[in-house]
Amino acid sequence: MMRVLLQPLHRWIWLDAGRRSRKLLKFAETEADGGRDLVRAAEVTRDPLLRRLLLIHARDEQRHAELLRRRGAALFSSTHSRSGYRADWLAPGERGLDDLRVEELQDGPLLAFLHLSEKSAAADFRSYRDVLGHDPPTRAVFEEILRDETYHMNYTLLQLSRLAPDRHRILLWRARLKRLWNGYLRLALAIAGLLSGMLLTLMYFSLLVPFAWLAKRAASREPTGWSRIAPERNLSLDRQY
Amino acid sequence: MNILGISAHYHDSAAALIVDGVPVAAVQEERLSRRKNDASFPLLAIEWCLEQAGIGPEALDAVVFYERPMLKFERILTCALRAFPRSWLAFPHAMKNALGEKVWMRGVISSHLGVRGNKVLFTEHHQSHAAAAFLAAPTERAAILTTDGVGEWATMTVGIGDRRERRASIRLLREVKFPHSLGLLYSTFTAYLGFEVNEGEYKVMGLASYGRPTLIDQVRKTIRRTPDGAFALELEYFDFHTTAQRSFSSRFLDLFGPARSPYEPIDLNSADGRRFADCAASVQRVLEETVVEIARRLRKETGMPDLCMGGGVALNGVANARILAEAGFERLFVPPAPGDAGCALGAALYADRIHFKNPDREVPDHPFWGPTADGLTLARLAREDHLPCDELDDSVLIERTADDLVAGHVVGWMDGALEFGPRALGHRSILAAPQSSGMRDRLNREIKYREEFRPFAPVVPIETADRYFELPPGGARLARFMSGVFPVRPEWRAKLAAITHIDGTARVQTLERSMAPRLHALLEAYGRRSGIPVLLNTSFNLAGEPIVNRAVEGYSTFRRSGIDVVVAGRTRVAKRASSATRQEESACSRNVASYNVV
Repeated sequence: MMRVLLQPLHRWIWLDAGRRSRKLLKFAETEADGGRDLVRAAEVTRDPLLRRLLLIHARDEQRHAELLRRRGAALFSSTHSRSGYRADWLAPGERGLDDLRVEELQDGPLLAFLHLSEKSAAADFRSYRDVLGHDPPTRAVFEEILRDETYHMNYTLLQLSRLAPDRHRILLWRARLKRLWNGYLRLALAIAGLLSGMLLTLMYFSLLVPFAWLAKRAASREPTGWSRIAPERNLSLDRQY
Repeated sequence: MNILGISAHYHDSAAALIVDGVPVAAVQEERLSRRKNDASFPLLAIEWCLEQAGIGPEALDAVVFYERPMLKFERILTCALRAFPRSWLAFPHAMKNALGEKVWMRGVISSHLGVRGNKVLFTEHHQSHAAAAFLAAPTERAAILTTDGVGEWATMTVGIGDRRERRASIRLLREVKFPHSLGLLYSTFTAYLGFEVNEGEYKVMGLASYGRPTLIDQVRKTIRRTPDGAFALELEYFDFHTTAQRSFSSRFLDLFGPARSPYEPIDLNSADGRRFADCAASVQRVLEETVVEIARRLRKETGMPDLCMGGGVALNGVANARILAEAGFERLFVPPAPGDAGCALGAALYADRIHFKNPDREVPDHPFWGPTADGLTLARLAREDHLPCDELDDSVLIERTADDLVAGHVVGWMDGALEFGPRALGHRSILAAPQSSGMRDRLNREIKYREEFRPFAPVVPIETADRYFELPPGGARLARFMSGVFPVRPEWRAKLAAITHIDGTARVQTLERSMAPRLHALLEAYGRRSGIPVLLNTSFNLAGEPIVNRAVEGYSTFRRSGIDVVVAGRTRVAKRASSATRQEESACSRNVASYNVV
C-alpha cells in the first residue's frame, strides 16, 4: 500500500537523468560495500557450504555494483551532472550490511539480517523498476539485479532454516526489531545532526565574527616559507597542544 | 619498558608496540578490520599487539599518540575563521567531526585501555614521521626531511638525527606550515584528475609516465619558491583550506581546463586523456624539482651523507630516485611505512629514545611486524571445499611454485608475518611471471581490476638486481622497501614487459636473502627455470580491499579472482573445484530456485 502511495514520488525522483545517475552511482557504492561485508562473513563462518554461498552472493553484489556504476556513469556522461538533490531519504538503495559488525554475529542472526535486507531491497528496486518505463537500459539493470535478489532471499532463508531449524522464526523477528531500532537510531542521529548543525551555524555567524576578523588579520601578516622550530617546543610529550 | 604507539582518525590507523626498545608488533587497523583505509581508533590493532607481546594494557609504561590533537584542532578552527564567511558550510561539519572524539584523545585512550591519563603522551605529527624514518634506519647520523599533506600545522620539516654512543636525538630545525603543502598540491591534482584523495596518488604517478610535462608553466603558477628555499602555494588556485567540498578553485579550472569525471575512463588516445596525462606529468615534475632542491640545500647545510625521509610524499618513488641521484646524498632511507600508519611506530620510538632517554637500539631492518599466516587453516578451508591441496616440504613447495610460475600461473603468496606499510614486500604478494605484457593485462583484467596505465612492480634478488635494473649508488638500499623507481636496462625491457612501465622504468624491490628467505629461494628457483630471477610482485588484495592478513582472507581472495594457486606456510592449494563441490553448490542453487518465498 505504502509503495503504491509512494509511486508518484519515485516517478518524480527517477525522472531527472542527473539525479538518476547520481543515485545509481550511490547504489553502486552501497552494493560494493555490501559485497565486501559478505566476503567478510564468508571468511568468518565455520560452515563450508554457507561460506561458498556467501562468496557467490558477494560476487553477485560486486557484479551489481559494476552494472549500476556503468549505467550511472553513462548517464553521468550524457548529462554532465555535477550536483543536485539526490533524495536519498525518499528512495534508498540496498543498505547492505552497513554498520554491521560481521565478526560479532553468528551465522543465524547474520542470515536473518541478510534475508530481510535483501527482501527490503528487492521491494525498493521493484518500485524503481516500475517507474523507469522511460529509461529501458536503467530498467534492465534493475530487472537483472531483481532476479539475483530473489535468489539471495531464497538461499538466505533456506540456509537459516538449515542452520537454526528451531529458531529461524525467532531470529527473523529479532532481525526485524533490530532493523526497526537501527532505523530509529538513524532518524535520531539525523535529527541530532541537523540540530547541532543549526546551532553551530548560528554560533558561526553570531559569535565568531570578531575572531574571524582577528584570524584574517593574523593570516595576512604570516610569513611564507620556512619557520624556525624552537628547540624547547617539543621538550614535553605530556601536552596535547 | 613497554611503549604502545597509536595513529588514528585521519587515514590509516595503526598500532605499534616496542618492548625494551625493540619493536615486537605493528599492524594497520585495516588489515584486521578488513575496511580499507580504516581510520577508526585502532582497537583491534592494539589488542593484537598486546596479545603478541603477551601483556595486558596494565603492563604498558606509556601510550603515545602520534600527534597533538588540540594543536590540530587549533589549525582547523583557525582555518575556518580565516575563511569566514566562505567556510560556513564546512564549519559545523568540522566542529562536529573534531569535537566528537578527536580532541579528547587522552580520555579516549584512557577509557579504551584502562591506563592512567598521565601515561598517555603526545608527539607532534612530523616528529613521529621523523622518528619512524630515522630511528628505524641503519644509520648513526642523518639529515631528516618529512613531507606530507598536513599534520597539526606543519606540512614539511627538515632536521638532523644523531644516534651515536647509544644516545638518540632528533632536532627538527624548520617547518613549512599549512596551507602551503606539497602533499596537498599533489592531492589537489589527484582530485582534479578524478582519483580518490589519499588513495589515488599512485595513479597520478603512474599516469604521469604517459604524459609530457607540457603544462609545467601552469603548475608553476600554483606554487612558487620562497627566497629562503622553501615554497608557497598560490592560494587563489586552491579551496582545500576553505571548504571540505572541493580542493581546487575555479581559477585552477581556468588554468587547467575542466576536471576529469571519476566515472569516465581515461582514454590516452583522446585529447582530454592526453591533457590529463600531461597534467599528471607536469605536477609530478614540479613536485620532483621542489623536493630535490630542498634536499640539495639540506645536504649542503648539514654536510651529512645520509638522508632519512618520512611522510606520505616519501611514497613517491620517482621523486625519491631523483633525490638520490641529484641532491648529493649517498644514501636515502625511506621506511616501509612512511605514511601516517608508520607514525605509530615513530611515536613509540620517539618516546622510548628521546622522552625516556633509553639507550638507542638497532631496529631490525624489515617490515614484517604483523600477524602470521597459517598454512593449516588454508589446508582446512581447501579440504572443506574439496580443492586440491598439498602440504609439502619447504624445498619441494618452492620448486612446485616455481613450476607454477613458469607455467604462467598467478600465485597468491603468504609467508610468515604481515608487512607493516602500504606495500607487499614478499609476505602477502601476488606473484607472476614478469616476461609478457599479456600477464600484466591478465592481472589487471582478472585479478586487480584496475586501470591499464598502472604499472606492476618487480622483485629481484639483490645479488643480481644490477643486471636487470640501472641502480645508482644507494639505489639498492632505496629499493629494499620498493621506495624508488629506476630504469630497467634497455636490453631487458622487452623480456620484462609485464613490469616495465611505459617510460622504461620499474618500482623494483631488491631482496636480501635474510629479509625473506623463502621468496629469495623462489626467485632463484624461478631463475633456474626461466633464466631470469625476477618476479612480478603486487599486493595480495582485490580492488577496494586491504591487503590480506590471515590465511582465510588469502583463500577468499583466491576464490573470488583469477589467482590460480595460493600458498601459505607449507600449504599449496590450486584452483580446480572438485565435482563434489560443484554438485553441492548447484544442488543448493536448484533448491533455492524452487523455494517460494517472494
